[in-house]
Amino acid sequence: MNFINTNKKNTLSWFWLLVLTVVSTYAALFLSFFNTQKSLFISIVLFIVFLKGQQIIDVFMELKQAPKFWRRLLMAYVILLPIIIGLIYLL
Amino acid sequence: MNSAVNEAAEADFLTLKDTTMVSKHLPGDLAMWFFILAELTVFAILFIGFAVSEQLNTEMFTEGKAKLHQISGLINTLTLITSSYFVALALNKMHQGCGKQAAQLLVIAKLIAGLYIGVKLWEYLSLFEQGINIETNTFFTLYFMITFFHLMHVLLGMVILVFVALKAAKNEYNENSISGFESGASYWHMVDMLWIILFPLIYII
Repeated sequence: MNFINTNKKNTLSWFWLLVLTVVSTYAALFLSFFNTQKSLFISIVLFIVFLKGQQIIDVFMELKQAPKFWRRLLMAYVILLPIIIGLIYLL
Repeated sequence: MNSAVNEAAEADFLTLKDTTMVSKHLPGDLAMWFFILAELTVFAILFIGFAVSEQLNTEMFTEGKAKLHQISGLINTLTLITSSYFVALALNKMHQGCGKQAAQLLVIAKLIAGLYIGVKLWEYLSLFEQGINIETNTFFTLYFMITFFHLMHVLLGMVILVFVALKAAKNEYNENSISGFESGASYWHMVDMLWIILFPLIYII
């Protein structure tokens, strides 16, 4: 195992997660301030939830190197749950 | 010449074999992963319940969300992500056999998680001061129920990390027996992942 690479991946992932968190919070404030369509803003926020979930699953939980079944199971969670929540809000 | 080619081919094969073996490794105990799946399912039901209730009481939920402190939610998200990052670094140190350094990184992760708990308690107290509690309306019933349930998971995760850190500091883990450490780390990342869904659902959307 390449420990230096793992550390780099963790640091990049952490930074990416921080950026996504700040972007989603301020995008929500910005879009609501300008009365942007709620459907667009909900879609963006939920898509960011998926991106963040994917980072945690693949990098922090190290499931990218795990049996595919377990990675797919966890990925299904961060894909399906935001879709279900999105459908509830948008339909 | 032939023997050099054979040695190179054998080295390639061994690398491939190693990669395949690493790629099949599920971090932690299988039982912990079933526990994580059960926890995720319970939270999924709560999140869907919250979204459905919001659609049934749009005005009440909009007013309720306006009373929440978005910045404290943002700070809590950043603290949990950072705490998770230190746990991931600690696991990497443990893979290298550096138990004491791993334990130190876990202590940093727990201190950052302590900040999350402080902010969450401050948020609860500021709501109580406004006369808002779990019985105020459906929004606050769900808000307190879901966030407090999550807080309990953070506390449980911290207790698990204390045990893991103590074992790591005593160098009780080794390369062949690290699954206890990995299980604790995976549980902590699950707690982080749940907050990443909870935060936009309750505070932002």
